[in-house]
Formats: sequence, C-alpha cells, structure tokens
Amino acid sequence: MKRFVAPLIAIASVALLVAGCSTTSTGSSDGKPVAGGTLVYATGDAEPTCLDPHVGGNYPQALVATQYLESLVSKNKAGDIIPWLATKWSESADGLSWDFTLRTGVKFTDGTPFEADAVAANVAHLQDPATASSTGYLALQKVTGVTAVDRHTARITLSSPDSALLDSLSQPWLAIESPTALKRSQAVNCESPVGTGPFVVTKWTHQQSISLVRNEGYTSPPADAAHTGAAYLKAIDWRFLPDSVSRYAALTAGTVDVIDNVQPDTLVAAKKSKDLVALDAPRPGASNRIELNSSIAPFDDARVREAFIRSANVNDAVTSLFFGTATRSYSALSSVEKLGVSEPKLFGYDQKAAATLLDAAGWGTKNADGYRTKNGTVLELDFPVSTNQSIPAEQSLFEQLQATSKQAGFKVNLHPLDLSSWYGALGKNQYNLVSAPYTKVGPDVLRILFDSAGTKPAPSGYFANHSQVKDPALDALLEKAAQTSDQTERASLYKKAQEIVLGGFYILPLYDQQNHFLRRSVVSGLRAMPTVSTPTMYDAWLSR
Amino acid sequence: MALPVAAAPPVRRGPLPWLLLRLGGVVFVLWAVATVTFFAIRLIPGDPAEAVLGGPGSQASAAALAQVRADYGLDLPLPLQYLHYLGRLAAGDLGRSYSLREPVGAVIGQNLGGTLLLALLSLLTAAVIALALAAWSTRGGRWASAVTWVLEVVSAALPHFWLAISLILLFSTTLGWLPPVSVPGPAGLVLPVLTLAIPLAGFLGQVMRESLLDALGSPFVLAARARGESEAGVFWRHALRHAAIPAIGLAGWAFGALISGAVVVETIFARPGIGRSLLSAVQLRDVPLVIGVVLVVALGYMLVTTLTDLADRLIDPRPAPTTAHRGRS
Amino acid sequence: MSRPAVIVAAAVLAFLVFAALFPGVIAPGDPLAIHPLDSFRAPSFAHPFGTDESGRDIFTRIIHGTGASLTIGLSATAIGVGLALILGLLSGLGPRWLDFGTTRFLEVLFAFPGLLLALLFIVIYGPGVVTSTIAVGLATAPGYARIIRSQVRVVRRAPYLEAALVLGRSPAHRLVRHLLPNVVGSLFVLVTLGIGQSIVWASSLSYLGLGAVPPAAEWGAMLSAGRTYLGSFWWMTFFPGLFIVLAAVGTTLLGRGIQQGTRLR
Repeated sequence: MKRFVAPLIAIASVALLVAGCSTTSTGSSDGKPVAGGTLVYATGDAEPTCLDPHVGGNYPQALVATQYLESLVSKNKAGDIIPWLATKWSESADGLSWDFTLRTGVKFTDGTPFEADAVAANVAHLQDPATASSTGYLALQKVTGVTAVDRHTARITLSSPDSALLDSLSQPWLAIESPTALKRSQAVNCESPVGTGPFVVTKWTHQQSISLVRNEGYTSPPADAAHTGAAYLKAIDWRFLPDSVSRYAALTAGTVDVIDNVQPDTLVAAKKSKDLVALDAPRPGASNRIELNSSIAPFDDARVREAFIRSANVNDAVTSLFFGTATRSYSALSSVEKLGVSEPKLFGYDQKAAATLLDAAGWGTKNADGYRTKNGTVLELDFPVSTNQSIPAEQSLFEQLQATSKQAGFKVNLHPLDLSSWYGALGKNQYNLVSAPYTKVGPDVLRILFDSAGTKPAPSGYFANHSQVKDPALDALLEKAAQTSDQTERASLYKKAQEIVLGGFYILPLYDQQNHFLRRSVVSGLRAMPTVSTPTMYDAWLSR
Repeated sequence: MALPVAAAPPVRRGPLPWLLLRLGGVVFVLWAVATVTFFAIRLIPGDPAEAVLGGPGSQASAAALAQVRADYGLDLPLPLQYLHYLGRLAAGDLGRSYSLREPVGAVIGQNLGGTLLLALLSLLTAAVIALALAAWSTRGGRWASAVTWVLEVVSAALPHFWLAISLILLFSTTLGWLPPVSVPGPAGLVLPVLTLAIPLAGFLGQVMRESLLDALGSPFVLAARARGESEAGVFWRHALRHAAIPAIGLAGWAFGALISGAVVVETIFARPGIGRSLLSAVQLRDVPLVIGVVLVVALGYMLVTTLTDLADRLIDPRPAPTTAHRGRS
Repeated sequence: MSRPAVIVAAAVLAFLVFAALFPGVIAPGDPLAIHPLDSFRAPSFAHPFGTDESGRDIFTRIIHGTGASLTIGLSATAIGVGLALILGLLSGLGPRWLDFGTTRFLEVLFAFPGLLLALLFIVIYGPGVVTSTIAVGLATAPGYARIIRSQVRVVRRAPYLEAALVLGRSPAHRLVRHLLPNVVGSLFVLVTLGIGQSIVWASSLSYLGLGAVPPAAEWGAMLSAGRTYLGSFWWMTFFPGLFIVLAAVGTTLLGRGIQQGTRLR
C-alpha cells in the first residue's frame, strides 16, 4: 500500500504469461523454458533505504522484495485470494480470530524452518515501534496477537472483524521473514533480509545494484505459478537507473533485459521494435487522481469543487500526453479492484456548467486577468506537485488543466517541490489541490483515504485523507464494510461509500496508477503479481 | 559551470610558513563549511528523523520517531546537537548516514573513487581538447580561428543533461558503439567523461587562446624567433608554457564545476559517486551525509588550489618578486 | 575580432532585446494557449519550431520566454558580480584584517559545490524565476569575486594609483576614478560569458526539478521539459537550446568587440 517514491507510468490491463510468448530470436521457439543465465533488471524507482519491506514500506521495496520474500496468501488474475505460504485458512464465527494452516517442508534460506512461530515473530516485528513499519503497521491495526496452535497452524486474533485481512496479508509489505534473521540488528537485516523466496540477496552495492542468486532449495511457489521447484534464472542483477532516457537506451542496447517506469512516448517507440515487449500492470488500490482539499476555502463549497472538475479537460490531456497508453478513469479505485464504481457522467468537461456553478457560489465577478473574484479575493488554487512522484507527462497534464480551468476563471498555481518540501506543504494544510498515489490491495484503501480519521496527521505529519473528507455517514459505511465478510453486502457498502466520494466532488480521477514494463524478447515467463503488480522473475527464463 | 577564474597572484613565502598558513586556512574552511551546511539543512522543511524511517511522508508512529530521535540525538536542542556533531567531527568521526544506515566515512569511501576518476579523466580530456583547439586556432589562420571560437562558445553553452542524453542517443542508440549506462571497464566511462569534458573544454579553450595570442606577440617569443628557433619550437616551448598558467589557475574552479556536473552525469549514466550521493542526501535531509560530502569536496578543492599554487611557483617564468607581501591567498 | 562578427552579434542581441520588450510583435500568439490535440507536431509552416507536449507553439513560447531568460541571465550575473564587487573591493582595498576576513569568507564560499548552494537556496525559498536567479547569482559570485580581488591587488600597485596616493586624493576618489574603471573593464568579458552560463545553470536546476514554475515559457525550463522526449521529438529541445547558444554567442562576441575597442584606445 501507499505512495511510492518515484515516477510510474502506464495503462490498463495485465497480460501476457509464459507459454507462446513467442520469442522470435534464437532457440527455444517451442516455448520450452531453459534454466540458467543472469537477468538484468533496471528500475527507475527510487533506491530503497532498507531491503526489508517491514521497515517503512513503499513500492520500491515491494518491487525487489517480491524476488526474495513471500506472503501467507496471494491473489490470482481473477482477483481471488489463493494459497501461498498458507494452504488453508478459516475465520471464526465472531470474526475475531483466523486460523492459517501453513505449508509444510518450507525452509527460510538461512535454514530456519517456516513454522507458526515465524508468523508470530513477523507480526511482532511489524508491530514493534523500533521496526518503524508504516505500511505493514497500518494493515495490522486490528491484530492483537498471533498464537501457534501447533507447529503448522497460526491463529491471528483481532480486536474487531477485518474483512481486509487476507488482502492485507497478500502484500509484500507483510511478507514472512526468517525469525532467526529478524533477531539481527536492523542495519544488518536491511542489507540482507532472509525469506523463503525463489532468490536470495547476496550483495547490495548502494546506488548501483542488488545481486540476487537462485534459491536452489525453493519449494513454495504461489498457487498460480507456472512451474514448481527452483527458479529458471541463475541470478538477477537488479540495477538502479533513475534517468528514463538512459534506462530505455540501455534496454534497446541490450545492456539490460527488463525495465520499469516506461514513459508513454517510449512505449509507443518500443511497439515498433520486434525485440521489445510491453507488460502493463496497473497498480491496485486508488486510481491516480487529483484530490480537492475540502477543509479550506474555496473548496469548502461543493459547487466550487464541481466547477473546477467541470472546467478541467482531462480527456484531451490524457490523449495528447499518453498516446493511448493510459485509459481515463472515473473511479476512486484502480480498474483492477473488482468493487470499484465508475461514474463518467459526473466528470464531463463542461465550461458552461462550471461558469453557472461559480456564479451561483458567489464568484460572479472577474478581474482584469480573467480570474474570478469574490469580495476582492481571487479564485486562487495552490497545487504542490511532487517532482519525485509525478512523471513528466503527468506534470504536463497538470499544466493543461491549469490552462483549461483558467477559462472558467480559476488561477491555479503549480508548485513543483522535492518530496520533503511537498510533504511539508501538505502537513501545513497549504494546498487546495494535490495528487498523491496510494497503493494497497483491496477496496479498504477507501477507509484510509476518505475516513475522517485520515485527516489527523500522524506524528510525522503524514495524513492520507488529502481531500479532508469529514462525513460521519461515510465513516460509518467504511467501518461497517471493513467488518463485513458477506461479499454481497460488502460490495453494496463500498458502492455507497464511493458514490458519496464521487458525488461530493472530492476527487478528480485521472487514470490507473501507471505501471508499465518493457522486456527484451529473449525474456519469457515474466509476469506481474496480481497482488500489488510487482514483476516476479520466478517463472522467467532467458533464451540467449 | 560558473566562470573561469584567473589565478590569484602566486604566493611568495618561505615553504614552511606558507604550509602552516595553508593548513590553518584549511581547518578554518572545513569548520565553516560544516557549520553552514549543518544549519542550512536543519532550516529547510523536512524531518531528518524520517530519512531513517524510509523517507519523507513516512507514516511512522510516534514511538518510532521518538526512538529514532533518541538514537540519533535529534531530540536535543539544536545548538547542543551542533556541538555534539562538531565534537565527533574533531575526532574524525563523520557520523552515520540516516538514509543508508552506514558510517558516512564508508559511504564516501565507496563512492569517492568513481567521482575522482571521472573528474580527473574529464579534466585531462578537456585540457587536451582545449589545447588542440587553441593550437589550431592560433596557427590555422583566420578561418580556423573563427570555427574554433564558435565551437568553444557553443560547447560552453551546453547543459550537461542535454549533452548526456544527446550523446547516448547518438553513440548508443543510433550507432551502437558505446554502452548507454555505466558498465565496468573503460567503455562505460567514455560518454560520462565526454559529457563533462566538452563544456569545460569550451571554457578552457577560450582562456588558453587568449593567453596564447598574448604570448605569441610577447617580447620573449620575438626574442626566441630572433634567435632562430623553429616556429614549432617557439610554440611548444615558450608560448604554450605561458598559456598553461591561466589554465592551471582554473583547475580549482574546474574541480568545483566538475563536482556540480557530476551530480547530473552520475544520475543519468547511473554511476555510483559522491555527486549522486549528495543529491539524494539533500532530498532526504540526510544531514551527516550532506556535510560529509561537502567536506570532502571542500578538501578536494583546497588540495587542488594548493597544488596549482605550487605548480605556479614551478612553472611561472617570471622572476619572483623581492618583497614578501605581494599577495596572500 | 572582425567587424562583421561584431555587427552580427549586435544584430542578434538587438533582436533578442526587441523580442524581450515586444514579444507580441514578433509572435502575436498566446505562449500559454494549449491545443492538446495538436501536440508534438514537427516544425511546419504553421508552427515553424513545432509544438510541445501540450500543443503550444514553440516559436511563440521561445519569443515570449526571451524576457524571462534574459532577466535570469542578466540579473543572476548582476547579483554575482555585484556581490563579488563588494567582496573583492573590501578585500583588495580594505585594511589587512578586512582582507583576511573576506578572503576566508570567499574561500568558504568557493569550497562549496556551486550546485549545492543553489539547491539549498531553492529548497529553502521555494522554486521560481526569482529564487532561481538569486540561487544562480549566489553560486557564481565566488568566481567573480576572486577575479576582482586579484585584479584590485594588481591595479592597487599600479604607478598611477600610487601617484594618486602621493597627491593626497581621498579613498573615494581613488576608488571611483582609478580603481573601478580598470577592474570593471577586465570583468566585462567574463560578465558577457556569464549571461549565457546563468541561463544554462538555471536549466540544470530545472532538470533537477527546481527551476522556473510552470507554465512559464523560459528557455532553460523548456529545454529541461523537452529532454524526456529527446529521442522522439528533437525540436522540443533543439530550438530553446539554439536560443541559449545565440544569446551566449551574441553577448560573448559583443564583449570581445568592446574589449578590443577599449584596448585600442
């Protein structure tokens, strides 16, 4: 879950698996996997400060941790929870305890057996303030403890029912690490976390790369993997290449085999090359959207919020900047979320409607520059933009919205800021508009983003409810949904909640959180995990 | 980038007092640089404790933040934190990086070599290009002079990021001759070095041409010609030596410019180095790492200027003045 | 320096100054007007320099950006030189202790990587044309100061100044009549070089995400914004880059011409 510290990109649907993925080049045209070889992966995401995703918990950590850590459960492409390190699970009648039956014969790569006490140790690690977990910590808020019923059964007890528990546990930020390794100092564990995954971290050269080698004794692929046993690849060279142009150049030159954070124009260029294949894996959780701060003027007036949304020509901007690689969203949730509600008619571009709304809201006069005023105050909106989080195309999109909303009389001030200053501006409530990504598995992300509790800043100053929605009815709906295990009722509760959010014009949805990858055609079997859309190299193989 | 700077008048003191004065100056500058950086970074928005907890915007709990503040002494009043830091610095301890959880000394140790190699090769390459251009322009006639001048001005006006990307597109994507990002071995160094060297060569070339022209018209060159020395001999033995003085005086400035350029070049070519460390450390408010890198750069700068002053003493063909108070630097 | 070269330089500069003062005469369009469905058009008759990612006309933006870019170039250089002049004169003319103090201060400034000075300044005061300008001025000041200081020291010992001293002229008289003209004269070339350089500096700050605030049409910011599209749409960076080079070449040429003119006198 949560924001990621770097640019991202891309489109709509997942795709492409293993077989038949047609390598036009040498050998193995029959699609039979070959073992061996080192795959070079180049990431444009920020370099993690710690390779243990329990610490903090952001997307760059999830990307690399997917290669060496595993979770209790996973998801399949249809969005259903499937077994991974746990083979079965059951919820008690009162919803306050869950029993997980653990896979047998699994060992961590340091030799420690994977048993119920490992689950207990990991939950304790995530909840220990000294670990400084944020993502995992938030996901486990209702968990009061873990007991080992027997060696292969772990019981998780809760303070109140949690319908999001399985979704939460499927995320890499709650992956299971060796309890022996967790006893080491945090500095050591950050450099070489130990899990049960198909690869093992051998060396982390800061600012350059992470070396991973195959776990020869690997036995625990998720239920939807394409094969069993050890991974095909002998090793992975995980490189940090922050500049998007040089990253793509490295791919076309064959210096690297797979890249992430592919820019829209690059995707178009890559389509012309028979050596390159795209993989689109939008992230789950929230859609990419602009949040309208309803706590301060002028957006404390719903009419002004609607006027802004009506005056923003998002569709033309997406068309011009993303070359068809991104699909417009009209939902608070990612298109991969089954319970997402889409309301296109609420977000139609209509300057006339915007003008009428602003007149009605008392912003009837215009000054010499064409901006609307009310009692001498200009209709001004501050929009801090994180240059670390918004890719260039997205920053250009904000410029276009600035231009179209100017026609309605809005004066939008874009403030490009580095990440620390950006969070500083949010913490001081000095913003009217903001775009902050948030990745989490499942619709429970709505509770984080729109529950009134989310307007209270954490001790670090962080808060997730940037629209500052404070609606008791919405809070009640979200809390009830989080406790309801009946799927039909849960869906209906989340639908009502989303209708409040969309109908209140608290957000302007743009598109899914873009997450595009490019691979050279010598790479086969690469797929994105259906959980948080991180690529897994377990089934990947090289035909060169 | 910045401007080429003429060397300060070379120092003419006895070797020992000169060295002592230099050393005192170095200690003072290092102290001042550390102090200014310390307070500047603490003034800007952003909580250093968050650098430890996974970066800005962390949803760290109150307990976690308190823990980190206690661990790193961030809960003390700022002046006290400063004194603690200074005390450790005096003992040679640069502290631990917040974001990398490693001793700053170790981080710099791993990254300094790459940047120094890059800077040194760039400086040499730039000097060779500048020399070639200056020689050609002074000896190749009017046309050559005009062409080299345009080349110099244009290359001095190229931003590093634009040049880097253009070189990648030309030599890697189009021609396929060189790797687009840093790989082990000399091939990976070519493009980063060219990116840094070309704008620098533009500057050096303009400065050297100016003094070459001066030198070629000066009495001692006329005298050498009158003695019947060959034109090439005059050029290489006398004029060039004269032209080298301002260029050497620029070495300190060039060092600073190269470090600033390294921030961009190391990011684009994904080379490990202190420039890249500095950028991410500033963004993460990683105070010990920022100060550590700045101290190393300052030390490097002063080392280079000291060496160039020394070189000045050796190369300068003019006689040493008799009075001792001609200049201090 | 040949006469035609100086004439060309003067013509280029005159054009740029005219564009800065009356952009609407050369390019009557709106530099901020977006046409999303006309984005990334190659140079054509309708758009001589092509269009950018939002369908804005690049020629119009460059012409309207001349003012901001030249302002950055001139003001940053002026700040740098002004600061340097004060420091250099204090150091070169003042008593020994003042010289010692300013020299140490300069050394400290010098020892900082220029980019770091600029970065810190912008992070503290927020991005924008004004902060970029001051940041670039600050970062370049130590360079000028050093030149001025050494120049002052040389001039101070010149015979005509010693003569003025013997004649009992006041310090102010010596400063204005004898020192300044000599120091400023030799600074001129570097200042003209500095204008182009300051624009390039500001564009590097844009690359690091801390330059002019969008959607301002400023050459450095345009150059930086186009870099992601360098492989696909070359015109987005070529033309802003061309104008930066033109400004640099024009000012440098003119500076040389003037310098040679004064030498002859």
